[in-house]
Amino acid sequence: MKKNNQNEVVANENVAIKSLEEEYIIEVDNVSMEFYTRDEKIDNLKELIVRLIKGKAQKKTVQVLKDVSFKLKKGESIGLIGHNGAGKSTLLKLIAEIYRPTKGTVKVNGKVAPLLNLGAGFDPESTAKENVYLNGAILGYPKREIAKKYKEIVEFAELEDHMHIPIKNFSSGMVARLGFAIAIDVNPDILLVDEILSVGDENFRRKCAQKVNELRENGVTFVIVSHNMQQIKSLCQKAIWIENSEVMAYGDVGEVCEKYQEYCKEQKK
Amino acid sequence: MTTKPNVFQKIGAFVVKKSKSFKKNANIVRELVIKNVKIQYRNSVIGVLWTVLNPLLNMLVMYFVFSTIMDFGSKQEEDWFSLYILCGNIMFSFVRNATTQSLPSIVQNRGLLTKNKISEYVFPISKNLSAVVNFSFSMIALIGVMAVVSFFAPGSAFSYTLIFVFLMLPALFLFSFGLSLVLSSLYVFFRDIQHFYTVFLTLWTYLTPIFWDFGLFKNKEDMKFAILETVVNLNPMFHFVEYFRDIIYRCSVGFTPVLETFSTLALLYVIGLISLGIGILIFALTRRKFIYNI
Repeated sequence: MKKNNQNEVVANENVAIKSLEEEYIIEVDNVSMEFYTRDEKIDNLKELIVRLIKGKAQKKTVQVLKDVSFKLKKGESIGLIGHNGAGKSTLLKLIAEIYRPTKGTVKVNGKVAPLLNLGAGFDPESTAKENVYLNGAILGYPKREIAKKYKEIVEFAELEDHMHIPIKNFSSGMVARLGFAIAIDVNPDILLVDEILSVGDENFRRKCAQKVNELRENGVTFVIVSHNMQQIKSLCQKAIWIENSEVMAYGDVGEVCEKYQEYCKEQKK
Repeated sequence: MTTKPNVFQKIGAFVVKKSKSFKKNANIVRELVIKNVKIQYRNSVIGVLWTVLNPLLNMLVMYFVFSTIMDFGSKQEEDWFSLYILCGNIMFSFVRNATTQSLPSIVQNRGLLTKNKISEYVFPISKNLSAVVNFSFSMIALIGVMAVVSFFAPGSAFSYTLIFVFLMLPALFLFSFGLSLVLSSLYVFFRDIQHFYTVFLTLWTYLTPIFWDFGLFKNKEDMKFAILETVVNLNPMFHFVEYFRDIIYRCSVGFTPVLETFSTLALLYVIGLISLGIGILIFALTRRKFIYNI
């Protein structure tokens, strides 16, 4: 018994030290990411054998991210900007631990709710209700907790009359509303958002913005990919500008956005 | 005072982390199984009753076809033949369902895998568990046929040996789960595995004594039958099917001594564990690459 108590004290001390050490909620350290190029991808045995005989089965890689680093403290938010295909979404997936970096490390201390492409995690044949439970389980919540939140989620998505309909019969706006409602109702520490804050009709958009502000005031960290500079400036303290897989600028949101906008103007000329 | 946690705390943290992720995955698997079973018979009038009817109707077709072709020694044998077919059929159907459903399961769920952090294991596991649910429904059909046969033919199929069913099913599950792991991971990289496996399943069905009796060939001294005997003995499903028949009715009517069933049970677990071992090995080695190939 005594020994147990002692251990507990030591553990508590360690927790205290840990929290000092790990004040960063996201640490991305020198991360590089490589993919195999699509045209070299072999997805059947026949092709593999043919290529082996021809001696053309070498792998070609393409660099998507190169030496990206940033750190976020709890409550801080960051915006990722850059042109299409620059590697922003890949960076989000690295933070969500869906991808593993080829080089470097990604450390995340907290519960992550990935909001990448709303409704992608839904099963079209299942009803909306079943999908809420499945998605809740994927985000790490036991059944009874989802049951508690279920009403809240449905109310927020304004889909009270549609929960027993298969998702395949939903409009894309309805799907997006449901996806958003689930993701924000699971109390995440970190929300990863990929260009989806402009879903639904005017009414719902206003509600989203309200909820996002509420979450931000509660200290939720946002990592946002967006082409809307206004939105990024209003939500984030920091920004990182990625172009052709490399970091062009990183730091205060105002400065980075300004640099990016200047660059865009020059490109147009 | 140390800044680094000691070994025990590290182990403790590891256990906590693992049990948390286990709970999370168990929740996901439960939801997936419910979804699979529900979707299967959505929009059908008699719904889940099909799982009972399907093996029954299959049995009737085979019974009708083979009892007219084959010449049974006695009326008694003919009556037991329906049970013989049904036993083989539901065993093989379980493995066929579990594996063919699992095969595309990783690729089918690319929507979930590419947008969420989620363990790849949950998909083949949930497909196998859904097959277990279907299997339990088809057991209702089996119990019905057992009752009918016991009523018309001399001897009863119901005896205490039926408890062996519960002892053997985990072994069957391990076998089909191991095979599912291999197939689902290979399918990510080689999409033509599906075609190969369909053809292989046909071959496998015929090499398993579902409607024919291996005993018919046992005494023939011919090179061809010697080869057939080796092949059939190497077929894991042969052992599962025969064992199932032993405990469902052969023991109770005295065809097979009960003691023999213990050594066969051990063999089934060896088969199951080997399959699981190979499955986990291949799956674990390849699963990190799934995300880039689906």
